[in-house]
Amino acid sequence: MRLVIIGTILLTSLFLRFFFFYHNPSHPKDGEYVSFRTTLLSEPQVFDNYQRIYATLDQKTKIFVYSSLYPEYHYGDTLIISGNLKYKLLINGNYISSMNFPKIEAVKNSENFILAFISSIRQKIISLYQKSLPVKPASLLLGIVFGIKETMPKEFSDNLKMAGVMHVIAASGMNVTLVGGFLSSILVFLVRRQIALFLSIIGILFYAVLSGLDPSIVRAAVMGILAFSAQILGRQRLASYGLFIAGYSMLFISPSLLYDVGFQLSFISTLGLLYIRPLFERTDRVIKLLKSSIIGDETITTLSAQISTLPILLANFGTYSFWSILTNVLVLWTVPILMILGGIGAVLGIIIEPAGKLFLYLSLPLLIYFEAVINTFASYEGILKIESISWQIILGYYFVLFSLISVFKKN
Amino acid sequence: MKKSAVIAFLTLFLLGATAIYQYSRFYDGRLHLIFCDVGQGDAIFIRTPKGKNILIDAGPGDKVLSCLSNHTPFWERKISLALLTHPHNDHFAGFIQVLKRYEISVFGMEKLENKTQGYKRLMQDINNNEIKINYLFTGDSFKTEDGFKIRIMAPDESFLVKTSPNNIIGENKEFSSLITLISYGSFQAILTGDSQVGELKEAVEKQNLSSSIEIFQIPHHGSKTGVDREVLQNIEPKIAVISVGKDNRYGHPTSYVLNLLKDLKIKIFRTDKQGDIEIISDKNSWTVQ
Repeated sequence: MRLVIIGTILLTSLFLRFFFFYHNPSHPKDGEYVSFRTTLLSEPQVFDNYQRIYATLDQKTKIFVYSSLYPEYHYGDTLIISGNLKYKLLINGNYISSMNFPKIEAVKNSENFILAFISSIRQKIISLYQKSLPVKPASLLLGIVFGIKETMPKEFSDNLKMAGVMHVIAASGMNVTLVGGFLSSILVFLVRRQIALFLSIIGILFYAVLSGLDPSIVRAAVMGILAFSAQILGRQRLASYGLFIAGYSMLFISPSLLYDVGFQLSFISTLGLLYIRPLFERTDRVIKLLKSSIIGDETITTLSAQISTLPILLANFGTYSFWSILTNVLVLWTVPILMILGGIGAVLGIIIEPAGKLFLYLSLPLLIYFEAVINTFASYEGILKIESISWQIILGYYFVLFSLISVFKKN
Repeated sequence: MKKSAVIAFLTLFLLGATAIYQYSRFYDGRLHLIFCDVGQGDAIFIRTPKGKNILIDAGPGDKVLSCLSNHTPFWERKISLALLTHPHNDHFAGFIQVLKRYEISVFGMEKLENKTQGYKRLMQDINNNEIKINYLFTGDSFKTEDGFKIRIMAPDESFLVKTSPNNIIGENKEFSSLITLISYGSFQAILTGDSQVGELKEAVEKQNLSSSIEIFQIPHHGSKTGVDREVLQNIEPKIAVISVGKDNRYGHPTSYVLNLLKDLKIKIFRTDKQGDIEIISDKNSWTVQ
């Protein structure tokens, strides 16, 4: 009974939040002149002849600002942008506001001191990676360790998409677990347990900002911080509560996230790992088999995540390749090793550059292997191709999936 | 603990194997001349027999980086000589990306300027990195101790003044571009940037080319103002290379140039069709890969 009441209150308040968010009529019109101050929360995307800045006019209006390649702007910079708005139709039928080559003035001292500081560390790490490793391995490692995508050559990120492993270059749960786990296990020797856990939380926050605050990293950070707080307070960790609280608070703060593909994928795949994955591990024999085979773990992880996200993948990318299961199995085992090597390399490299370089060099053979697998499988045609998928089918799919999970769970 | 020791050992071992493999591959004692596929633009990478790195133009975007990565060992980040044939975006912009990752010792260019933001940024980066700038004219040359040579065939000062008054380059019509002659033993190649047929003719006549030219880069991505029958017959190259982007909006390479080459039975290699084009020479013989 109490659960029902709490649930109703939470849902109603979220609903009200959405209602007021989307019913506020103040929306700049097509062609209207605007001038605003914004702090960049993502790195501009660089193309051959221009750069595209993702700027925030107000909470509801995000704008693609097109500007010449130089001067370069970065994550954390504060800009004053003035010019005429233009509505632009996207391929998926949505509109986005854009501005073509407006007047941009960079504010000397970024408004957000912490963001500017972390952004400068981020630039240092990018530069260290790029000076140590060849261009594709460097961009791949930046993606795996920090979720930094903007340095990746376009043909290579296309290959990652085709091969179905784009998710490894989004910072997410595994990164947060490693950062938090690494910090807490070292700090525990130096300070009191409670303080060690608290400092680990600060570390996770720092990492989330460093990696660029994508929805997937925010979700993972919230969940990680909840798990660590639960330990400080002496309570059990409950991953599904963590996931729920993360999702709820993110949507409450920024309702437009609901339509963000990264947000959707991150949540649904985490749900898949929490509820579908255990179904594979039901008997001792299977668990033993999974443990003894080298790639068993990767296989069921990939399967669980893919089963849960299939309709979203199809709806957004129009294609799904069965080869992607094999591709994932072949590369996923390298990811934790690469995260550790890349992470140590970055931290050491900021202090002593040659030492950092050595660790980055160590990751090179694995990165070359990773690249070779991707390039091989990217050329294989996706087997499932769909022009468009209706929301009824998506809903039906999840209804069936939900029923199957509950049936299996009971048995 | 045991597991991480195994992984540590394995990564070290693999790194060693990678280093040995790359060393034997990139220090093979031969000259490598690579026309990089950088889309619509030029970037030519030269690795001399003893492993000195030279880059002539760097294309418009960051594609030149893949080309450099693919043709140098991973631990090398030094480019001994960079040449810019002329300050147009599709030839210089890639240098900005290169400078973020590589050290350039000498930067050779025409005494020309361009007023764009991108060019200003490149010059800023060159100054900040304290790179020596050499302004080049006909007759200047560079040599490495392994017998590799680059000679500037054009332009001379008077041509530069005539085509680009006030040292500022135009965006179209007549402009001058560095033309270079590359040689290693009996192997010779002419690289042309965006030169126009007038400049090329003058250069070829003045140079008095005695021995044969193996490789000729078709000027200006195959534009019809770059070559004519007379100059091609004069140079008489074994193969022609066109550095050009797929489906570019200029219609390069033009059918005029393609037909001319077909007529003269000169074999054509194109970066938009073949990707990176690598020519390897051991002084006497050469092959295309």
